[in-house]
Amino acid sequence: MITIKGLREGLLIVFGEEPWLIQMHELEGKLEANAHFFKGGRIALDAKSLVLTVDDLQRVIALLTKYEVNIWAILAQNEITSARAQKLGLATTIATPPREAARQDNGEPAEEYAVGSPEAEGTDGLLVRRRVRSGQVLRHPGHIVVIGDVNPGAQLIAGGDIIVWGKLQGLAHAGALGDPNAVICALELAPNLLRIADAARSSLSVPKREHNKHPEMAKIDHQEIKIVAWQEK
Amino acid sequence: MHPIVVTITSGKGGVGKTTCAANTGCALALLQKKVVVIDGDIGLRNLDIVMGLENRIVYDSVDVIEGRCRLRQALIRDKRAPELYLLPTAQTRDKTAISPQQMVQLCDELRKEFDFIIIDSPAGIEQGFHTCLAPANRVLIVTNPEVSSVRDSDRVIGLVESQEKGPAHLIINRLVKSRVKRQEMLSMEDIVEVLSTEVIGVVPEDENILMSTNRGHPVALNGQTPAAMAFHDIARRLSGEDVPLQVQQSTSFIKRLFGRG
Repeated sequence: MITIKGLREGLLIVFGEEPWLIQMHELEGKLEANAHFFKGGRIALDAKSLVLTVDDLQRVIALLTKYEVNIWAILAQNEITSARAQKLGLATTIATPPREAARQDNGEPAEEYAVGSPEAEGTDGLLVRRRVRSGQVLRHPGHIVVIGDVNPGAQLIAGGDIIVWGKLQGLAHAGALGDPNAVICALELAPNLLRIADAARSSLSVPKREHNKHPEMAKIDHQEIKIVAWQEK
Repeated sequence: MHPIVVTITSGKGGVGKTTCAANTGCALALLQKKVVVIDGDIGLRNLDIVMGLENRIVYDSVDVIEGRCRLRQALIRDKRAPELYLLPTAQTRDKTAISPQQMVQLCDELRKEFDFIIIDSPAGIEQGFHTCLAPANRVLIVTNPEVSSVRDSDRVIGLVESQEKGPAHLIINRLVKSRVKRQEMLSMEDIVEVLSTEVIGVVPEDENILMSTNRGHPVALNGQTPAAMAFHDIARRLSGEDVPLQVQQSTSFIKRLFGRG
């Protein structure tokens, strides 16, 4: 079975033990179902112990290209597979070991999880402590937490929830792998566009208002994205 | 003091990069620094016109890179300041004529002789920008007090940071205090709130700039105009002086102050 993880350099798609063709089919299904999440992304593939021919590699590259995903590396235990990937101009190592990608302060390796269950306890996430600027994209299969402002023109795309400890402008897409229960919270919610799973709400329906300088949460309610004030209990 | 390469850039075109490069260069030269200003906008050269040195171009930076002349031969001395030189660019070529590595080499050569190397970068985020960014020790982003300019500056600041050339500093150009007061124009505080970047200078709108640009005589060379004073402040800050940031008053305000029309 395929699992998707977040790296500092982008996403990592890890293949399982099943035959290649079955997993290719699974990958295509995931790309099709979560096109918003993957589109424009930068990914590495971990083929594990699978032995892949040049033809196999070219097919997976073509498949990813079709969904506008850029592949930059293929990791393989098998040396021949690795050599073939190199011939196609791909990297065969990644700088960050996958387990360090999810920041955990206790030093424990991040949990692996299946796509579609980002709310499970112990799943990983991406913590960014800076301003996210126009043109910058943060993409992670788990949760995204930003300590700082997210400027107009920036994008946050998370499989899970999005929390911004600051002012959220720009685009935020939570539950981008299909989870309609995902939420988006910000100290100040002033986005260009909000998406949760397949629902969208543009800034036109989130009018600029002075009184929104308090924490708010966006979530799906009756198939629509609703924004509610974060009330002190 | 080590030689400093200052790249002046912006995402958006027409915000006053070339004016800022020419005037900052002049102001530094008047502080007795040895200064060269490089036109980084290959194929769309302007800096020579703004500095009034267009008619003196024999060789350009691309000639130097491609070995048709020595660096010395391409440098044009501006006699209006003690030690001010221009390295013009080619008008007939495009941005691919100089690679980032070549620009680094060129600047390393210039570092041996100059205190300040000012690069006037092209607008945009393509190769020309990356070529001008490569040798930089300091990056100044020119932004106008308007939303689209600030948005593009934000994008460029992100790129500068990702190339580990940060932190970039801001020149806020063409500010009109009265319009800020009427809330028609973004204030310095508004801009800093979005960009969280240190401001190295605020240049007020100055009607003298248009004439000086057309005549090829940068205001900073002999100016007491509001913009000229702002450029002198920027030059002093670049030289390491601690100059408090203040928006220069517009001429009309000073005139009012002294009760003259």
